[in-house]
Amino acid sequence: MAVVAGVAVYGAFEADRIAFLVLALGAGSVALLAFGLAAPSPPALVGSLVGIAASWSLSAWTRGSGAPGGTILAASGIFVAAELAYWSLEQASVPDEPELLARRAAGLALRAAGALALVSFALAALGLRAGGGLLLEAVGAAAAVALLALVLLLAQTDHQH
Amino acid sequence: MTRYATPKLGAYVVLTALGLLASLVFARPELALIAIPFAVLLAVGLAYARKPDVRVHVELDRERVLEDDEINLEVELDARDSVARLELLVEIPRGLELVSGRNPVALRLEAGEERLLELRFRCARWGAYRLGDVHLRARDAASLLAWEQTLPRAETLRVYPRPEEIRELVAPRETQLFTGNRVSRQKGEGLEFADLRPFAPGDRIRRINWRASARRGDLWVNEFHAERNADVILFLDSFADARRGGTGTLDQAIRAAATLSERYLVDKDRVGLVNFGGVLNWLRPGTAMLQRYRIVEALLNTQITLSYAWKEIDVLPRGTLPAKALVLALTPLLDDRAVSALLDLRARGFDLVVIEISPLPFAEPAPGASGELAFRLWKLLREGRRAEYERAGAPVVEWQEGVPLTAILEGVSASRRHAHARA
Repeated sequence: MAVVAGVAVYGAFEADRIAFLVLALGAGSVALLAFGLAAPSPPALVGSLVGIAASWSLSAWTRGSGAPGGTILAASGIFVAAELAYWSLEQASVPDEPELLARRAAGLALRAAGALALVSFALAALGLRAGGGLLLEAVGAAAAVALLALVLLLAQTDHQH
Repeated sequence: MTRYATPKLGAYVVLTALGLLASLVFARPELALIAIPFAVLLAVGLAYARKPDVRVHVELDRERVLEDDEINLEVELDARDSVARLELLVEIPRGLELVSGRNPVALRLEAGEERLLELRFRCARWGAYRLGDVHLRARDAASLLAWEQTLPRAETLRVYPRPEEIRELVAPRETQLFTGNRVSRQKGEGLEFADLRPFAPGDRIRRINWRASARRGDLWVNEFHAERNADVILFLDSFADARRGGTGTLDQAIRAAATLSERYLVDKDRVGLVNFGGVLNWLRPGTAMLQRYRIVEALLNTQITLSYAWKEIDVLPRGTLPAKALVLALTPLLDDRAVSALLDLRARGFDLVVIEISPLPFAEPAPGASGELAFRLWKLLREGRRAEYERAGAPVVEWQEGVPLTAILEGVSASRRHAHARA
């Protein structure tokens, strides 16, 4: 929740316009996350993560072209918040053994570091091709369609005995 | 195993798709940055997700225990392939309490690893339980996919009611023909002196009472009371049960029935059981250890079954209630069918003793004056029922929770002795 709140406040500070709207969206996301963890409710978590991503995107949109310096931290922060939130949901049903807990904490740290590196790399790559271009748009559209197909595929429960 | 996508997978796919679409719609490549970590985790996580292969073996250390005893359940896990997170839940029926061990538990298993989990349970309540059904849920390293399986590994555990200490049993008025430990009113072979009579040809010399013979100038011999067994029928009223928390009148009745059957069988009496309730079942009188197990098994399967059908004692087959049997009724006196059946038994000449398992500790008056009034009326109605039994010549003794059974039985025996003396 602290990570999500941090991203929300950061987005509001960095916004050139409608900072109040950015902050309100972020605060709503924090509240929804709190509810999702307390309930526990996976749909509320999705709403919260979408909300904080939208808050940060809105903030980025108000600043015109070019990603700000905190983009790497914000993107990684949303990812880490999502990982922690779903880990918390698992803990609510069945808590991990201490050994597994330590292992998963190490795995999360590794993933967070990986996300930082990945976003930095992507930012550098996008910086080289500011404005996107036909190739990037085609790749993005293909990825989006592929993901939606994946959702449909995995939503169907597969019975294997 | 049943595979399904976790909520996390759905959420990550939505986040990735929205990030990419927003990037395209607003022509802002940096919006795609949010989606990239999620997209990479999805790709890597799904690429490496594999169906887990875990063998589970469950073993109970005992199959028969007494109430309040503790038992061990061992769950042996053998992983053929590594499992990033395995959640294991052993289904515990009500009546058993986990004392030590973790259930459910989440652990990681490496390929080829064997793990032994020990769970210790306290058997809080009598009954026949099926323990050991295991629910498994495995997740891949990224928790995107999960596999679930229920393994029917249950073993039957019988928890017998713990018998109470009893000093004195209610003695039946009539005995049967077989040899036992009860002093019969009939004369025959035995130890208890009954009477004197003149010597007759065929009498044994050692039976001659020399003192009486010297006084009377003729040979007199001692007569003894024969030692016989008796038939005891335990009449269990299972039409209704007053409960609160983990205990109730049926539990008390079952414990009492188990204790009484054991003690009467030890005394070589024949013991039968009539379970008179929504489901009617019975055991003809029998002796020895085998009968004890039969009775306890029948008691373990006793439960309250709701029924509106009127039942009378005639529904019992011939031989279930032998003539001259002592009928010990364990009843909360809550259902008119049981009350009526017991009066019917008394009218047919059975030696009836009613142990009323009081439902009062389990009942509270409804709030308000009308609630109090209704409660008092109900108690008055119960008094009336007791009086009806007393008039019919069947003693009724109230057994409150927490009072030892032996005190109740001693009270019954004393009242029967006084009634006999008055008669």
